[in-house]
Amino acid sequence: MAHRSLRIVPDRCTGCMQCELACSWVQTGSFQPSRSVIRVHVFDEQASYAPYTCFQCHEAWCMSACPVNAIAIHPDTGAKVVLPETCVGCSLCAIACPFGTIFWDPATHKAFKCHLCGGDPACAKACPTAAILYEELAAPDWVEPWAAKLTERLAAAAGASDAA
Amino acid sequence: MPLRHVVIGGGPAGLFAIETIRARDPEAQITLVSDEPPYSRMVLPYYIAGEIPEGHVYTGNPAYWERLGTTVVTGTRATAIEPDRGRVALSAGASVAFDRLLLATGSSPVRPDIPGATGERVHHLWTLADAQRTLAVIGGRKRRVVFIGAGFIGFIVLNALAKIGCELAVVEVEGQILPRMLDAEAASLARGWLEGRGIAVHTGVRAVEIGEAGGDKAVRLSSGATLRGDLVVMAIGVRPNVELATASGIRTDHGILVDHHLQTSVPHVYAAGDCAQGPDLSTGQPAVHAIQPTAVEHGRVAGANMAGRPTRYAGSLAMNVLDVVGLQCASFGLWRGDGSEATPASVVVHRGRPLYRKLVWDGDRVVGAILLGPAEDVGLLNDLGMIKGLIQTQAGLGPWAKGLRANPMDIRRAFVAAGTPGRLLDRTLLGRPLENQRHRFGDRAPARGGERTAEVREQIKLEPTRGKGGGPREAATDVVMD
Repeated sequence: MAHRSLRIVPDRCTGCMQCELACSWVQTGSFQPSRSVIRVHVFDEQASYAPYTCFQCHEAWCMSACPVNAIAIHPDTGAKVVLPETCVGCSLCAIACPFGTIFWDPATHKAFKCHLCGGDPACAKACPTAAILYEELAAPDWVEPWAAKLTERLAAAAGASDAA
Repeated sequence: MPLRHVVIGGGPAGLFAIETIRARDPEAQITLVSDEPPYSRMVLPYYIAGEIPEGHVYTGNPAYWERLGTTVVTGTRATAIEPDRGRVALSAGASVAFDRLLLATGSSPVRPDIPGATGERVHHLWTLADAQRTLAVIGGRKRRVVFIGAGFIGFIVLNALAKIGCELAVVEVEGQILPRMLDAEAASLARGWLEGRGIAVHTGVRAVEIGEAGGDKAVRLSSGATLRGDLVVMAIGVRPNVELATASGIRTDHGILVDHHLQTSVPHVYAAGDCAQGPDLSTGQPAVHAIQPTAVEHGRVAGANMAGRPTRYAGSLAMNVLDVVGLQCASFGLWRGDGSEATPASVVVHRGRPLYRKLVWDGDRVVGAILLGPAEDVGLLNDLGMIKGLIQTQAGLGPWAKGLRANPMDIRRAFVAAGTPGRLLDRTLLGRPLENQRHRFGDRAPARGGERTAEVREQIKLEPTRGKGGGPREAATDVVMD
């Protein structure tokens, strides 16, 4: 069964950070953007903003690195989820995940990551410009087309300043 | 006739190989030979600290093995391999036949060659039995413990004993602590952190004798000083268990040499995990990376190849993460950066905090990194994975390299803008999605469809978005994208 994924459209993001607030509320019950598992990357110089979170990738590096099998696939959403009673807090998942989307929480000494809010992602609901969508995706990589354009613009700007 | 697989060693490399073989070959005959009952060495420190019960450390039980269709022979060692005859001799006197053999024999702690190293209350902390012996000596009291060796494993254990209030001293023969994980600058910050928490650090000195004095253990140092304690923990390093391979004519160096398919010099004989010396992702040279993530990757790749699915392994990445009494330390890849590189390393230091970050470059690629900072420092914790991703993909950052060199704290923007996720998403270790690990460890029968449904539902209780939500909204009109 195909599960829905978060699809991010950076060109719609205005950098308002409501997704971070909504996410940290779900994750911690408080408004702490630093504890949000969706993070907006701000490129003010290019007026571009890119929310970024776990892709729920096929490789699931976190899941296989875990020495106590504390990460499982949620039966309803397909999200890779941390089982807090099983997690010992060793941080191996945080160094194994090359996407940088699973974290060790200094408050709980456990790992935490995006769990798709059980199928009702708060970030997507909070986004006022529909830059974060939750839908079935053929290809999960929404970063590349945006990154390629941003890189082109950065290179062009650097070229222009060199020429000046 | 089904292939007969024999796996020697029940650590993560052996277990992941077995799961991978079974996922690909329902007919295979699989036998595990292990001298210890399978458990997770990585979590012993949490057991020592009293944070988890003993039951939490085990990684297999009868129901698990039954589901994996694996015959388990524990309490038995393999004593000889006859590759030509396809047989492994066992310490119990019997032997077992194989078509494919995996050596996942792990590593063993090195015992310092000094008087008293075999005495009472002088322990390694490597096996579950070591942990149990140590807990018996500690007996829930705040004991004084002297560590010989200030490496990764020593500190994992030290951290556990610090949590239960022990009084600690560390002796390291090299001029700094964590010599194979941190450079001198980072090590000096970590040392200051330890000393600030009452932990005595002695570097550049050798323990020359472990004796007794008035009921204490007394560790005499080359400097002439003596450290007294209730218990001595030896953690000067580990050595790959290669004897079985060497005696059987399998090529070994520091570890058992394996190629990009984890095969040894003998066809149909594979090696994985701490005992194996395979390709290093950073250098391409054979290296022993005795860490859990490498054991898992080795085990999976070896298992796929053993099951007849040729799978090439790009190589393992040297990396460690360690909590040193509340100070998080991590290093990746070619972190040493000795200054000979054409592009100098980017470094941020804030000694008062303390905070340290170093990125080692090869042109516009990050090839190594060290991160150090207090555990509360979310910036550091947030960046660990992305640094690993940059080093693992070995991708050039192009025009984003300049900004990251100027500000190595700004890893996240460079990571995303250089399109790193796209380089990761289309690759998987075995060329297909990871199966849900329904077999692993648990004793519940797998649900139809395989997910650990009951366990997940029990532990994950999400209230649907607690904040005020506007409900699903219509997609806004597309903005114009240039």
